[in-house]
Amino acid sequence: MGSEQQPLLAIRHAAVAYDRLPVVEDVDGTVGPGQSVALIGPNGAGKSTLIKAVLGLLPVVRGSIEVLGRSPASARSEVAYVPQADTLDPEFPVSALQVVLMGRYRRIGWVRRAARADRAAARSALEAVGLSERASARFGVLSGGQRQRVLLARAIAQEPRLLLLDEPFNGVDAVSQDLLLAALQRLRAEGAAVVMATHDLGLAHLACDEVCLLNRHQVGFGPIGTTLTPELLRATYGGQALALRGDAVIVAKP
Amino acid sequence: MTELLVDPFRLPYMQRALLEVVLLGVLAGAVGVFVVLRRLAFVADALTHTVFPGIVIAFLLDQSILLGALAFGLLTAVLLAGIGAHRRVGDDAALAILLTSFFSLGVVLVSRARTFASDLTVFLFGRVLTVDRADLVQTLALAVLVLAVLAALRKELVLRAFDPAGAAAMGYRTVVLDLVLNVLIALVVVAAVKAVGTVLVIALIVVPAAAARLLADRVASMTALACLLGVAGGWLGLATSYRVSVDHGVRLASGATIVVVLVALFLAAASAAPLRRLAEGMVRR
Amino acid sequence: MSWLAGTFSGGFAQRALLEAIMVGGLCGVVGVHVLLRRLPFFTMALGHATFPGVVLAALLGVNLFLGAGLFGVLVVVLVAALGARERVDDTSAVGVVLAGAFAFGVLLLSAQAGFAKDLTAYLVGSIVTVQPADLATTAAVAAAVLAVLAALHKELVLGAFDRSGLAALGYPVLALDVALLLVVEVTLVASIPAVGTILAVALLVAPAATARLWTDRLGATLVLSPVLGAASGVIGLAVSQHWRVAAGATIVLVAAALFAVSLVVAPRHGLASQLRAGRRPAAARPAPDRAA
Repeated sequence: MGSEQQPLLAIRHAAVAYDRLPVVEDVDGTVGPGQSVALIGPNGAGKSTLIKAVLGLLPVVRGSIEVLGRSPASARSEVAYVPQADTLDPEFPVSALQVVLMGRYRRIGWVRRAARADRAAARSALEAVGLSERASARFGVLSGGQRQRVLLARAIAQEPRLLLLDEPFNGVDAVSQDLLLAALQRLRAEGAAVVMATHDLGLAHLACDEVCLLNRHQVGFGPIGTTLTPELLRATYGGQALALRGDAVIVAKP
Repeated sequence: MTELLVDPFRLPYMQRALLEVVLLGVLAGAVGVFVVLRRLAFVADALTHTVFPGIVIAFLLDQSILLGALAFGLLTAVLLAGIGAHRRVGDDAALAILLTSFFSLGVVLVSRARTFASDLTVFLFGRVLTVDRADLVQTLALAVLVLAVLAALRKELVLRAFDPAGAAAMGYRTVVLDLVLNVLIALVVVAAVKAVGTVLVIALIVVPAAAARLLADRVASMTALACLLGVAGGWLGLATSYRVSVDHGVRLASGATIVVVLVALFLAAASAAPLRRLAEGMVRR
Repeated sequence: MSWLAGTFSGGFAQRALLEAIMVGGLCGVVGVHVLLRRLPFFTMALGHATFPGVVLAALLGVNLFLGAGLFGVLVVVLVAALGARERVDDTSAVGVVLAGAFAFGVLLLSAQAGFAKDLTAYLVGSIVTVQPADLATTAAVAAAVLAVLAALHKELVLGAFDRSGLAALGYPVLALDVALLLVVEVTLVASIPAVGTILAVALLVAPAATARLWTDRLGATLVLSPVLGAASGVIGLAVSQHWRVAAGATIVLVAAALFAVSLVVAPRHGLASQLRAGRRPAAARPAPDRAA
């Protein structure tokens, strides 16, 4: 059965390579059920690279990454990835429900079609993000925030233990933001872990209890209260961080 | 109307030609949906150039042109992957050299024959009016095979077209899916070579699907529309070239006429699209 | 060597040889700019688009260069207009317009007698039937193109590497782009008797790409590329005469073979030397030659 304490994601002094060159190094930390980690750092810091490594898409050249105690590639069925909505073609002929159903494809398997249970799971995932009435709308006619919610619903439909999100709040309106946060909260309550790359420090505070600071190497990993400090932020953002009086730090928007 | 659309097909050779272009319209339209959604028109065009020598070699050796085309199609896929890895030479330049050299190989081989010019023309532009029963059977078999594969892999192919990062994250090997699609395209080229030739087959693949994309909101309806337009273009094109040659004594190449009709249908769809847009906007809450 | 000399003793053979050298050399020079500005795909499309323009011009008795040029411009405008619409991506737009234009050209030709032979000549060339008038045209075009390229050399090179820099210096960037595109189009049309519209892009790309595998300096590339182009022309022509196969296609195969061989053996940029050095192929573009 596995111990109750087994972390969902365990990264031990890992370095990830892109094209044989290490891009991010010395990442170390664990994420357990119900926890949520924000990956914070400037552009090119290695946030997306680390996410790809957790998905098993990039090689780990030093140390290790384990998902549910296994290699990332073998644990993919338990991991869901939420990309940024604006990377997808808004003119693509597909409905919101069809996008969410894509999350069930691995379960459905090759050749077979979606069963009633799959459709039900897709509909309830859409409901979890507040978009049940837009199920048959074409994905592209929805607003940016709604599209992001649909992509989260797709991940929910996968019934994952670990969720990886890439800048989920970029260009998202306030209503969608709240719905996204609520859905993520519900997932955490059900025992899933969340890792999200973001450069919105305010949202990191709202959505996550831990933070991993990256700038091609790990600057810090720990509870957000003690790790998101001005000095560590300055170390993360280098010249892009400006200290104000006391503890306030301004980070230039990348 | 019947004079145009029905009368020409009282003759057996015209009936066979019609059946052939109908089958091709469905086959190329269905595959074309994925070529258009994944913006692969250039890759598909490359495949038609590189599969050409394979067809010629097989023809000269009296072997199955299907195998010749497949062999060269696979070779292309491998070379394309290799080109991407060597960055000193840009992808574009290497691709252009690959295309033209393969094509030249085919031309050189055909030119050994005294009937070079007419042979080359047939390979490149087809001669649909000489289609016989054996050709029809082969086209039907290929159509059934390709459509079966498309139906089986439909959801994965759509996912890969819509969200390649998401597909990879779910563990799908996009390289394999891409290879399968390339093989399907090569099969369409083989099926079409007798009717419209390797140069014009790209039109059968891209144009109906591009037109359908303008009007359809789902992959299913886009596929249906692409097949319908492909069939309509084939039918109308054949009928038109027949009527023009019989009534006005001007001989128009059938394959080329079909393509011109398809492009006209595309332009019609392009003009209708804005109206569709308006309708969609009104339905939107 | 006497085999080579013997091959070129007939009158038509000498004309073909001259044409092969001129076209190979011209394409070699223009090809350097095609690569610098990453125009191979566009050039392929232009080659396909030029075909109906040439056919139309020939049928109407209009000057080929004019007809082809105008048609080429028309096609570019159509592609741009179509690609700007929603749900029509650039590659599909090019596919649709080129398919239509090509089919149109075939249609026009098919209505004439001697269809297959003319079609073949336009598509893959017919260098052995080159006439003195064609030679004169090629020479004139080559002279004009070389003069334009020489005059605009600095601006074209700068524009390839730093468009905004060129604009900042006050140069009409768009006009220079158009000038180069016209040069490419004119070169394409001039190459038709030798290699036809489909294969012309090979002579524009392969010798230049091969030269870039051997040298980093622009000046050296501008010398090596036409030499390789002319050499491909001569060798290809000789081989085609010997084996009695299509000349244009053979010339292209020779150019491609030179490229393929260089890809493997060229020092520094070839695969063999890089594998030996244990490095992955570099992504650098050649630096502009200060002396040029």
